Amino acid sequence: MATKSLAPAKSKAAKKRDGIFAPTSLFGYFMMLPAMSVLFFFFAYPLSFEVWTSLTDKTLGNDAKFIGLDNYASLLTDPDFTTAARNSVVYVTFVQAGKFILGLGIAILLHQKLVARGFWRAVVLVPYAMPGFVAFMVWKLIYNPDVGALNIFLMQIGLIDSPIAFLGERTWAMPSVIFATIWRGFPFWAIMFLAALQAVPKELYEAAAVDGANAWHRFKNISLPGIRPVILIVFMLSTINTINSFEAIWLTTAGGPSDATVILPVFAYKGLAAFQIGESAAAALSLVPVAMIFTIFILNRLKKD
Amino acid sequence: MLVIVAIFVLFPVYYMITLSLRSQSSLWSKATLLPVDSNLENYRAAFANTDFKRALLNSVIVCGTATAIAVLFSVMAAYSLTILKFKGRDTLGRIIIIAFLTPGALLFIPLAVIMANIGLSNSLQGLILVYLSFMVPLGTYLLIGFFRSLPAELEEAARIDGASRMQALWMVLLPLVAPGLVSVAIITFTGAYNELLYSLVINISPEMRTVPVAILNLSVADEVPWGRTMAFSSIAALPVMALYFAGQRFVVEGLQTGSVKG
Repeated sequence: MATKSLAPAKSKAAKKRDGIFAPTSLFGYFMMLPAMSVLFFFFAYPLSFEVWTSLTDKTLGNDAKFIGLDNYASLLTDPDFTTAARNSVVYVTFVQAGKFILGLGIAILLHQKLVARGFWRAVVLVPYAMPGFVAFMVWKLIYNPDVGALNIFLMQIGLIDSPIAFLGERTWAMPSVIFATIWRGFPFWAIMFLAALQAVPKELYEAAAVDGANAWHRFKNISLPGIRPVILIVFMLSTINTINSFEAIWLTTAGGPSDATVILPVFAYKGLAAFQIGESAAAALSLVPVAMIFTIFILNRLKKD
Repeated sequence: MLVIVAIFVLFPVYYMITLSLRSQSSLWSKATLLPVDSNLENYRAAFANTDFKRALLNSVIVCGTATAIAVLFSVMAAYSLTILKFKGRDTLGRIIIIAFLTPGALLFIPLAVIMANIGLSNSLQGLILVYLSFMVPLGTYLLIGFFRSLPAELEEAARIDGASRMQALWMVLLPLVAPGLVSVAIITFTGAYNELLYSLVINISPEMRTVPVAILNLSVADEVPWGRTMAFSSIAALPVMALYFAGQRFVVEGLQTGSVKG
């Protein structure tokens, strides 16, 4: 804008004219208005409503009475909540570790000299393209003791004699759900890592090869630093999604057996279904500190670019 | 190595389809991973099931409408946040990203209560509004990446040639971010189509259900009619997967623009 370049010489009045009331500003706000209205009514307002509700004893039909932090206090002493929190940590940690290893491994595999790389990339995308609710129903079927593929396979190769209820036994339920979640989520990591690997300049590898660096050194000193920014951002985005993965649990185990796979969103949903609105709101809000850490990190990261 | 990857990735899809072609009695009598006793009975049942057809229609209406609105609002916001200069722009941009990063599990309780209070539970309109709460930030975030990749002088050049801001946006910028629009449309549409939690708490009555909830409701207590569930799932999944792969180039570009180029 022409006026902008004259900034140092501007009078107070001119500044005001070019401030919020400049034509471009008005237009800017006008264009932001629809998105911001959506966020006001369906994001900011619900969030503040939830904070208020969490400070009340609201259940279905009663008038919410302010009870301060009582809901939070009772959550901390509620063994079901601490179980859900612990399960969430276990679930997210192992899911993310699995997606990272699988994603990176498959990205490296696809990064090799390869015939029909486009085809293989499409194959890897299949779990991600499959709707989550379908994917988790299929995994529930695969784990089923009567008609599930995993049991049929394990019995046919003679590894087990009688079927295992993978989703029905405490020892198996969490690992099974974690595995299904990894299957559904790893393609995002693999595709991002592959793109990042392909963006690393080839000359670096050639120079290193001339210097006699072996494959592991080339990977450690060139590939890994090259894709580190991508690893970080993918890790952050995917972790927020994984903390949120209600359907992965609800469709497979619904949190069972006996709360072995209840994670925080499932806990909050069950609370709402039992009409313990105030307390469930507090449980849902317990995700805020974690979400905030990730959000601040990503905001800083984006500012740097 | 690649063969192992392919089996790992494709087996669940294969199993879904082979089971969708078998009757419950065939499943119980023959424990096999091979396709046996294939017939289309479960698909016939699906297309004769009015609740399921209703759910498919609901999903298409909700996700189609919400996607159209979300793309429009996102284009306006992303254009404004990248091309225009105004006071508070960075703050508004940050609000978008915060909303984009907020897990839906945080909002489903107040949204369910609020929608009930204003009489929009159990309605397609209500679900569309609620879905916009995550589709608009997501779409804006992705489109910011696409708008940023345009050369900065482009808009100015168009303006110097006498185009109004709207003309510059419509005739110069939008055609160049067209891949971004396709990408955002596919990503937000599938995001809404796959959504379970909001749909579960907001649209409770059977005639307002979306596809995920309808499929969940095929099971009675712990009894899952597997053949039928897999047939319904195939019908629900395969068109969306086809859409995803038809637009794969755009989707991948969108994911990369959103998370890699920042």
